[in-house]
Amino acid sequence: MLNLKIALITTYPPGNGSLNEYGYHFVRFLRQKTGVAEITLLTDDLPEGQSYPTEETPGLVPLQIIPCWKFESWHNPWRILKVIRHLKPDVVLFNIQFASFGSKKIPASLGLLVPMLAKVSGYPTIVLLHNIMETIDLKNAGFNSNPLMEKLTRLFGTIFTRLLLTTDWVALTIPKYVEIVEKKYHTHNVLLAPHGSFEDSPALSLEAELAQPLQIMAFGKFGTYKKVEQLIEAFRLLQSENRPPLELVIAGTNSPNAPGYLEGLQQKCSEEKNIRFTGYVPEEAVARIFGEAAVVVFPYTSTTGSSGVLHQAGEYGKAVVLPRIGDLAEIISEEGYTGEFFEPGDPSALAEAIAKVLDNPERRREIGTQNYIAARGLPIAEVVDWYLLHFQALLELRDQSANGAALPQPSGQPSGQPSGQPSGQPRVSGITILDFGLGILDCMVAIALNLKSKIKKSKIG
Amino acid sequence: MHLELRKIESVSILELSGRFDAYEVGPVVEWINQNMEAFTTRLVINLSGVKFVDSTALATLVQGMKRCRQQQGDLHLCCLQQPVRIIFELTRLDRAIDIFATEREAVETFGD
Repeated sequence: MLNLKIALITTYPPGNGSLNEYGYHFVRFLRQKTGVAEITLLTDDLPEGQSYPTEETPGLVPLQIIPCWKFESWHNPWRILKVIRHLKPDVVLFNIQFASFGSKKIPASLGLLVPMLAKVSGYPTIVLLHNIMETIDLKNAGFNSNPLMEKLTRLFGTIFTRLLLTTDWVALTIPKYVEIVEKKYHTHNVLLAPHGSFEDSPALSLEAELAQPLQIMAFGKFGTYKKVEQLIEAFRLLQSENRPPLELVIAGTNSPNAPGYLEGLQQKCSEEKNIRFTGYVPEEAVARIFGEAAVVVFPYTSTTGSSGVLHQAGEYGKAVVLPRIGDLAEIISEEGYTGEFFEPGDPSALAEAIAKVLDNPERRREIGTQNYIAARGLPIAEVVDWYLLHFQALLELRDQSANGAALPQPSGQPSGQPSGQPSGQPRVSGITILDFGLGILDCMVAIALNLKSKIKKSKIG
Repeated sequence: MHLELRKIESVSILELSGRFDAYEVGPVVEWINQNMEAFTTRLVINLSGVKFVDSTALATLVQGMKRCRQQQGDLHLCCLQQPVRIIFELTRLDRAIDIFATEREAVETFGD
C-alpha cells in the first residue's frame, strides 16, 4: 500500500491564476484516495486580505497549503525549491501551462525551470502540462504581435519543453499533443492523462430549469485569447432580430495577463441591461451558472489546450458554440464532444451559430446530451487514479534502482524508466546538460534558417 | 459489447468483444460490480475481440485492477489488438496493468 507524501505546485482558489479550478478539483479527489498520506499545495501568494482555506475535513487526506510563489516574480525557483526541499515529498506534481508563472518572458521561463530543478534535486517529478508551445497561436493568444518576437518565443518554447521533458513524465491532456511532442523531441517520457470532468455524476440540466429569458453564457478568464467584444456584437445582432428577449452572461474574471479588460467592457455596456458581468464565480455558484444557461459560447481567438470550460459545459449537458480555429474541432471530437462552430472574427457568423442552437431545442438537447456523455465518461477522480499508478511505478523503479536490480524493459519501449535513468537520481551531468545543449542547438538552427530565409527574400527583393 | 465468462481453476477469464467505450461500457461495469469481490479476484480480460477502447474503458479496467489488488488478487489483460495497444501505450497504463500476448500466459502468470 502506498503512503504517499505529495507536493503539488498549482494555483488554487481563491487564487485566480489560470488552472485554479483544475487544481481545486484535482485536489478534491486526490484527498479521497487511499494510499495518499499527505498533500501539500505550493500555491501562489494571495493578495492582501485573502487567505487559503485551512479547515480539515475528517476522513480526507490532510491538506497543507503553502503560498510560495508569485505570478511575474523572478524569485519563484528559489522559493519553490526551498519549500520542496524542506517538505521532502515522495513525489512532486506540477499543474501548469506555459504562462503559469508569468506573462513576461523571464519570470515565465524561470518558473518553467522549477520542474527540472525538482527532478535534479532527487524528487520523482511529473509535470501535467495543459498546453504545448507547438499548438499555441501566439499572435491570437495575445502574447506576440511582432513576427520576430513570435519566432523567438517559439524557440524558447522549444528549449523549455525540452527542459520540462527532463522530468520523469510530462502528462498531456490530448492524444494529438502526445504525438506532436514524441515526434518533435524524440522522447518517450510523455503520456496521455485526459483532462477529466470535474464532477463525479453531475445531474443533466433539464430544459425546464433554463433561466428566462434564455441565457447565452461565456465562462472563463478573459482578455487574452478569450475576448468577448464579438460575442457582445453577436448578441446585439440577435437582439435586433424578431425573437424573444435574451440575456448575455459573461461569467468570470480578467486573465492575469489582461488586468482591467472586463471593467473596460462593462463600462461600455453599462446601458445594456441584458448584458450581465458576474465577476468571480465562487465554486458553489458554478453549477447554477451553467445550469441556467441555454448555450455556452467559447469566444476564443486561439486555443491553448483542452478546455476546462468545455468539460464543465458537458457536465451540465450544455450545447456549446465554438470557433473554427486550428484543430479545435478535431481535438474536441477526440474527447467525444461536439458543438456548433462559427468562423472567428465575424460577429454575424457567431450570431448565426448561437441562433441555430437557441432556436432549435432538439439540436440543443442533442449537442448537450453528447457532451454530457463525453464529460461523464472520464471523471477527474479516475484520472487522479492514473496519476497514482504512475507515481507508484516511479517509486517502484526508484526502489529497484536503489537495490541494484535491473530496470524492467517493457517490449516496444525504450526503457522501463521513462527517460532511461533511474528515478530519483540527479541527472545534471547527463541529460540536463545535453538537453540544454539540444535546446540551444534548436535555437541556433532556427536562427540560421530564419536568417537564410531573410537573405533569400532580400535577394529576391 | 459482448461478454463471455470462462474459468480455469481459480482464474476467471472475461472475454470481451465489440467496441469498448463510454457508450458500451455499462455491461462490463455491471459485471465488475456484481462479481468482482464475491466471485473472483484473479481476473484475465481477453480483449482479442475489442477493436477500440476509449478513456472510459481504460478507467473501467483500472478500477477493476484496483479492486482485484485490494483483495490480494490482480487483473491481467491479454490479446490486445494493435489500436487498443496503442491507447495503452499512449497513456502509459501498459506499465501499470500487466498485459500478455496470449491468454495462456495471462492465466499461467497467476501461478497457484
